[in-house]
Amino acid sequence: MFRYYLKLGTLSIRANPMLSALMVAAIAVGIGACMTIFTVRHVMSGNPIESKNDQLYHVQVDNWNPDDPYEEPDGAPVQVTYLDAKALFDAGRAFRQTTSFKTSRVVQPDGDDARPYQEDARATTADFFPMFDVPFLYGAGWDRASDETQDHVVVLSRELNEKLFGGEDSVGRTLMLNDEAYRVSGVLDTWNPVPKYYDVNNNPFEAPARLFLPFSLAIAGSFDNNGNTSCWKPVEEGSGREGFLASECIWIQMWVELQNASARQDYMNFLNAYVEEQKLLGRFPRPLNNHLRTPSEWMKYNEVVDEDVDVLLGLAILFLVVCLLNTIGLLLAKAMRRAKDTSLRRALGASRAELFKQHVIEAGMIGVAGGALGVVMTWFGLRGIESIFIEYEFMQHLVRMDWSMVTLAVVLAIVSALGAALYPTWRTCNITPASYLRLQ
Amino acid sequence: MEFGPIWRAMMRNKGGYLLIALQIAVTMAVMVNAFAIMQERSIKMSRPSGIDDANTFSLVSVGFKPDMDAKTLVQEDLDLLRGLPGVVNAVETNSFPLRQGGWSEGLHREPGVGKSVSSSAIYFVDEHGLDTFALNLVDGQNFTPDQVSWDSDSPDFWPATVIVTQALAEDLFPDHEGSYVGKTFWFNDENPANIVGVVERMQAPWPTWTGVERSMLVPLRRESEFARYVIRTEPGYRDELMVQVEELLSGSNKDRIIRGLGSAEEARKLSYLGDAAMIKILSFIVVLLTAITGLGIVGLASFSVARRTRQIGIRRALGATKPAIIRYFMLENFLVSSVGVVAGGVLAIGLNIVMVQAFALTPLAWYVIPVAMIVLWVVGQAAVAGPARRASAISPAIATRSI
Amino acid sequence: MLNMKNVSKVYRTDTVETHALREFSLIVEEGEFVSVTGPSGSGKTTFLNIAGLLEDLTDGAYELDGRDISKLNDKERSRVRNEKIGFIFQSFNLIPELNIFDNVDVPLRYRGFNADERKRRIEQSIEMVGLGSRMQHLPAQLSGGQQQRVAIARALAGEPRFLLADEPTGNLDSQMADSVLDLLAEINAAGTTIIMVTHELGLADRARRNIFVRDGQVSDNAPELHLASMAAG
Ligand SMILES: Nc1ncnc2c1ncn2[C@@H]1O[C@H](COP(=O)(O)OP(=O)(O)O)[C@@H](O)[C@H]1O
Ligand SMILES: [Mg+2]
Repeated sequence: MFRYYLKLGTLSIRANPMLSALMVAAIAVGIGACMTIFTVRHVMSGNPIESKNDQLYHVQVDNWNPDDPYEEPDGAPVQVTYLDAKALFDAGRAFRQTTSFKTSRVVQPDGDDARPYQEDARATTADFFPMFDVPFLYGAGWDRASDETQDHVVVLSRELNEKLFGGEDSVGRTLMLNDEAYRVSGVLDTWNPVPKYYDVNNNPFEAPARLFLPFSLAIAGSFDNNGNTSCWKPVEEGSGREGFLASECIWIQMWVELQNASARQDYMNFLNAYVEEQKLLGRFPRPLNNHLRTPSEWMKYNEVVDEDVDVLLGLAILFLVVCLLNTIGLLLAKAMRRAKDTSLRRALGASRAELFKQHVIEAGMIGVAGGALGVVMTWFGLRGIESIFIEYEFMQHLVRMDWSMVTLAVVLAIVSALGAALYPTWRTCNITPASYLRLQ
Repeated sequence: MEFGPIWRAMMRNKGGYLLIALQIAVTMAVMVNAFAIMQERSIKMSRPSGIDDANTFSLVSVGFKPDMDAKTLVQEDLDLLRGLPGVVNAVETNSFPLRQGGWSEGLHREPGVGKSVSSSAIYFVDEHGLDTFALNLVDGQNFTPDQVSWDSDSPDFWPATVIVTQALAEDLFPDHEGSYVGKTFWFNDENPANIVGVVERMQAPWPTWTGVERSMLVPLRRESEFARYVIRTEPGYRDELMVQVEELLSGSNKDRIIRGLGSAEEARKLSYLGDAAMIKILSFIVVLLTAITGLGIVGLASFSVARRTRQIGIRRALGATKPAIIRYFMLENFLVSSVGVVAGGVLAIGLNIVMVQAFALTPLAWYVIPVAMIVLWVVGQAAVAGPARRASAISPAIATRSI
Repeated sequence: MLNMKNVSKVYRTDTVETHALREFSLIVEEGEFVSVTGPSGSGKTTFLNIAGLLEDLTDGAYELDGRDISKLNDKERSRVRNEKIGFIFQSFNLIPELNIFDNVDVPLRYRGFNADERKRRIEQSIEMVGLGSRMQHLPAQLSGGQQQRVAIARALAGEPRFLLADEPTGNLDSQMADSVLDLLAEINAAGTTIIMVTHELGLADRARRNIFVRDGQVSDNAPELHLASMAAG
């Protein structure tokens, strides 16, 4: 019977080509609009470190102004001071821990006429690489000892290694950065987590750094912080760099790896104890307000997904609703036109259930066609978004459609078509056998 | 004329008409709210930055050799730049309006570090800042050269004089009337700042910041291997000077690199990229949506004409004129559209209330609703015109033929 | 096989109630060929619709093959229609998009026969109505008489025991009408029970029993047949 209904569906679609095309197009356009926005949202709200989501925690301690809390929702500052970064890191109470900030270095390639250029860099600690499952092409990160000794070691991104060393294994080679010689300890494989979950305070949708070097070295060498610095209390006048490091200004991101719930609890207790201790020294004037957040919680907390995307998604869903109302109307019109056929089939012995199947299968066919075309529309939609954001190069990473999105598009199209078919089919199934056959 | 019979005939097939009305209603809700957002964004994008966007560009010099003489280098660079033909003026500063990165500071009316009463973007400049940014000084005067200091020369970081925007002055001293020149506020418990001038407008670097109109010029020069130059040119000279200046500075000193070359116009464009995209995407959605709704009306009207062929033939046989047939379908559509746009008005306002609450949107202007109503009425009438014309062409002879 | 007792049918619209059948009683035995005549609007089609399970009755009892029809649900009724009853309509009611073969196939599909069985029955019944060479034609490519014969083939393909015809010759000229009647007589001779509504005197005569319907009731004193033929519609 299924094949028979497929055949009837084909016939009916062929008998009303314009109408069927209009229905398929309406579903495809609706799906295309929804899925274009949803794909972007899907990528923006993704969690590239899902597998370790229950082990990684971003650290927040509230050292802020007693009269004026940090921002919503809970008033906890989103970065930490150097004082706290250093103390918490040195305590070493987590399985792994890393403190980092965004900076930049001037790369001086070999050769006299090669012009130096600036590259984005991340000052971080040895644990950064194993914590975030960072893939290496050659070599490895530096070892924990280099965090103490301020060694001049550097990890390069794959692209920078290609640019500087033609893609060779450059481990052990020397690289000049701001007139200082660094030893290459490792080269990353392609690594571009979207969103850049480990530093969402600065744009979470930008390319990762191309240079990674020790945090302690960057502090000792007074490397500029290219990310956000916020202060609630002025840095002591004339105290220079020392004063800044001792200030209540926040500018460092800290993450810890805790392997299970009890480790998490222990670390929380440790944080609270640390803050209580600092209170005795006159710091941390606010009530206890410390937090450990997983990457997914952290991204939600920071509202990584732009509000505009949600506005667009809402409107796109309404758009789909209009397309479906349109389809329902057309299906209904078609059902009415076919009322005589239906009533005849009823007279010839088709039960309601059989008619229902026939129409559902026909709607399913429209849905499949709409879904397939919808995937194509989505692709065009994403290319459209990409071209609108031509000046924002990173956009290309947000407009990628994976198989889950293709599947979702088709499933959504079929469900939509079936949903749209419900009312017309119900009307059809309620046509009494005799109603359209009565003569004169 | 014949509203009654048409309405009664429609009520006999409510389902189909209700669907069109609903479709028109949702279309209108989306249309109206999309328009409200587009309007909000285009107002945001058209705000003047206060500087001469068209003739200004910027670049950064980054020294990378240890112990370089930043003070001398910056002074040499500025002398060079200011002497170039086509350059109006140049200044070394930390940022410029809409660059999306800069320095902001909480401000106090009394000395202290408690809750700040206002906040402002900070632009560090020398006495050339006012002219380079082409600001409109509405009160007081520019910095004198002796008011400008190097941070390395004085123990106090913050200088004692500032020039503020009108918006900042009003925010700092809401109850004050008359001139703001001479008023004092505090950066913290030690550093008072005395207002020496007020400019009409100069935006902060961050376009999404609620305090985007609040900024100030601070006569301080910071000794650093990192220096940003902002350069204003004579009209028409910008593009060639951008190329020329980059070459000149790159060549003049091998111990630094030149990067971040870009015009204020480009920065502005980047700043509003998301808003411009929003406008484009929304207008695309609205156009597509209207087209889909229009096509849906065409499809359904064609259907109803096909279904009523015999009935129309009989009407014609009984003496209905062609215009009467066309009028019948037009009126039918008008009735459906009217139900749709009225429901759509309610829906649009409902959706707007939700969006205002959820996304802090500005509420929509009242006139958008009647305009959208008229647009959808017209779209409906245009869509039904074709099928109606075809209906009027049906031959009356159909009536005499058997089924 | 058909037993109607005091059946009544009321059509209700917003304003009026039409009593299409009232206290309608009739027994038809297996193998009979019954013609039904009566004035236009007397309820002939309504009777046929109820007999063929196309419509529900308002009141009374209707047994088909000893089963109380009012107790059947939609699925069972569809099944009875499909297996026991064949319909022939005045306006043929063929599906225009389907060719002759596929039109005849429609009831067999719902019957659940396998492909071979369907093919056999379709070909057999189309041969029987003499259109073996036209199987791939669309209805629009046939004359009225041929279309009606396809409709008969469709009604017969499922080998129903009960054939209901509502003015089967109403749209045909007399020569064609005769040939259709011959076909029906042949079918009846083979054992199929037939009830045929008609207004043509000569045709009604060919049935073995004639009943006359007036005001929704079987009329005891049937007028002369030539009167009926003038009034029927
Ligand atoms: N669907 C309906 N709604 C209302 N009245 C109906 C309907 N169908 C038939 N009738 C009425 O029932 C009566 C019997 O009709 P019918 O059985 O078709 O007569 P005929 O003997 O001409 O076939 C007529 O008066 C007719 O108007
Ligand atoms: Mg009749």
